[in-house]
Amino acid sequence: MIEVLQLLINGLVAGTILAVPAIGFTAIYAVLRFPNFTVASHATIGAFAGYVANTAFGFPAWAAVAVAFVVTGAAGVVNDEIVLKPLRPAGALTAAIAAVALTIVLENVIRFVWGNDLRGYDLPIRRDWQWAGIRVGPQQVENLAIAIAAMGALFLFLAFTRTGKAMRAVADNPMLAGIKGIDADRVARLVNFVGMGLAGVGGMLLGLDTSIDPLTGFRVILSVFAAAVVGGLGSIPGAVVGALTIGVAEELSLLSLAPAYKTAVGFAAILVVLTLRPRGLLGERAF
Amino acid sequence: MTDDCIPMSRRTLLTGAAALALATAAPGAARAQGGPIRLGTLTPLTGAGGSYGPSMRRAMEWVASEVNAAGGVLGRKVELASEDDQTNPEAAVRAARKLIDVDKVAAIMGTWASAVTTAVAPLCWESKTFLTTVSGSDTITQLPHQGYLVRTQPNTHLQIGKLGEFLLSLKVKRVFVLGAQTPFAVPSQKRLGEVLSAGGSELIGGLVYDKDKTTFRSEIDQALKARPDMIYLNGYTPDTTVLMKELYKVGYTAGKVAQGYAVNQKLLDSLPAEVTDGTYTATPSPAVDSAGYKRLAKFLGTADLDPYSCQCHDHISLVLLSIARARGEATGTAIRDNIRKISQGNGIKVDSAVDGLKLIAQGKDINYEGASGPCDFTEIGDIVDCKIRFDRAEKTKLKQIAIL
Repeated sequence: MIEVLQLLINGLVAGTILAVPAIGFTAIYAVLRFPNFTVASHATIGAFAGYVANTAFGFPAWAAVAVAFVVTGAAGVVNDEIVLKPLRPAGALTAAIAAVALTIVLENVIRFVWGNDLRGYDLPIRRDWQWAGIRVGPQQVENLAIAIAAMGALFLFLAFTRTGKAMRAVADNPMLAGIKGIDADRVARLVNFVGMGLAGVGGMLLGLDTSIDPLTGFRVILSVFAAAVVGGLGSIPGAVVGALTIGVAEELSLLSLAPAYKTAVGFAAILVVLTLRPRGLLGERAF
Repeated sequence: MTDDCIPMSRRTLLTGAAALALATAAPGAARAQGGPIRLGTLTPLTGAGGSYGPSMRRAMEWVASEVNAAGGVLGRKVELASEDDQTNPEAAVRAARKLIDVDKVAAIMGTWASAVTTAVAPLCWESKTFLTTVSGSDTITQLPHQGYLVRTQPNTHLQIGKLGEFLLSLKVKRVFVLGAQTPFAVPSQKRLGEVLSAGGSELIGGLVYDKDKTTFRSEIDQALKARPDMIYLNGYTPDTTVLMKELYKVGYTAGKVAQGYAVNQKLLDSLPAEVTDGTYTATPSPAVDSAGYKRLAKFLGTADLDPYSCQCHDHISLVLLSIARARGEATGTAIRDNIRKISQGNGIKVDSAVDGLKLIAQGKDINYEGASGPCDFTEIGDIVDCKIRFDRAEKTKLKQIAIL
């Protein structure tokens, strides 16, 4: 019993790490209607922005996370404006392929500046909390809190602010939103800022648990994509549910399978979900 | 989503057709005799091996430039075509195809990860291209490579045998292996079990994990349930970093041992001392007292060379000397047939390609001993013996404690 409980907790922990960039990915999909795979390199940009803030300027973790959000959000807007925006009219597939190409370019820009070596944040590593044979890391609890806070803030923003409503309008029907006088370009910039900012936060949280190098984001992009698909592409709570589902499914599989098959279990989960519910667990609505 | 296809203009089409015509009309890029000697480097410039590949490549470029400055191989210049294997078998195969089909190289040198070498080797032996590698997995030299492959890295059997001896000398009783999913994961676990049980200790368990995961908490729980007094972390640097952090977080205080390529100085710099202190590492020791090692160290600007740069220095030296020994025949088959004639036997000992080439030009027999070691090969392409250095991490620095 304790073993199952521990696996469940480990799964939630693994899931929350994926959830933050998955929210960013799915938010961008909701508005711009293409899978923006540059989430991978933006997660890496966030990890490095946080790294510079932390090691060069001595920022504590929470402040470095904020820096990661802002820097990555800005990078996301610039990259979209210069590279992806001109290609979007050619179709979602073109934009998606351009995003894959752009992510490789950005990854190599990072490699050009910082090299291939692994880097770690200048932060103490804290021991796990343990009760009755169950253990949880303080870092993981914070990750969970940040993921929930990010989701909550985004939800409130979309539900109650004028700009948020404009974003939803563009997501639902871009043409109608245009007729109503909503500036689609402005909405696109905003969703890129928020979405990529979240990807950056996700990259930094990932780096806190592991270490960072130019491939930090690339390593998790398939799982992030999977989380968004399982939850329902374009659905923000769906991204969180999808990430947690994949995390828990992968960990619980250890009860009967060797750890080497974990990734396969995650993708088998996608097959099952998409077969039974082609629109994902929570459908496509933004929230 | 739209499904428009991009229309191709007449100009694009004509340009493409012209380029194709030019490419096919170009004369064969490299012939076996005459013209420059073309060799390929295929090192991990990115991915898990990314901290080694650039320096491995520089070591080879340096040897090529030294040889060219001294007049080349029997008057022919050496040209290198360099590709990145991305520490990824699929990318490596594409790069190797380019080296073989487009650059027409006689040899591919420097593959690092065992999975990469395993993927690239069949392309090499089928196209009669020689392959030199620093990968350790036992399975590599057991491939039907027809002699078109040698490696300078001790194989798993040799390395793990010595690791087992070392662990026995530490008097550990219960060892657990956490191995990344690689071609050497299972063979090394098996070999370690044999050596430990022969010495009165025990391998109490092991598991193979997916190295691209971001957390290994459940894997660690499984390991700790077996109550080991030593955990062998048999992975690469990125995943080993995560494992070491998590072992610290869970409060594990017993022993840890890893390969030197995983727990290297870069890992030690990126983690706090309390996480890494006391970790043992095993590293195939280059020939640190050799003249070849010292010259390479001077060129690369570091006193402490990694074993792979030393091995790559030897790869290109061996290949060039073999070509010279074959009277300038720059083909994979000529290298295969001559490499053991210049690397072992009773010839004059040399430690640099330039010296060796002069002696070969004078018709003398040579025995190359390089920066990585004696470079003597068995029938199937393994090195005969190698020393392994064991270090212990103390305050984020490695301190040597034994050489076996």
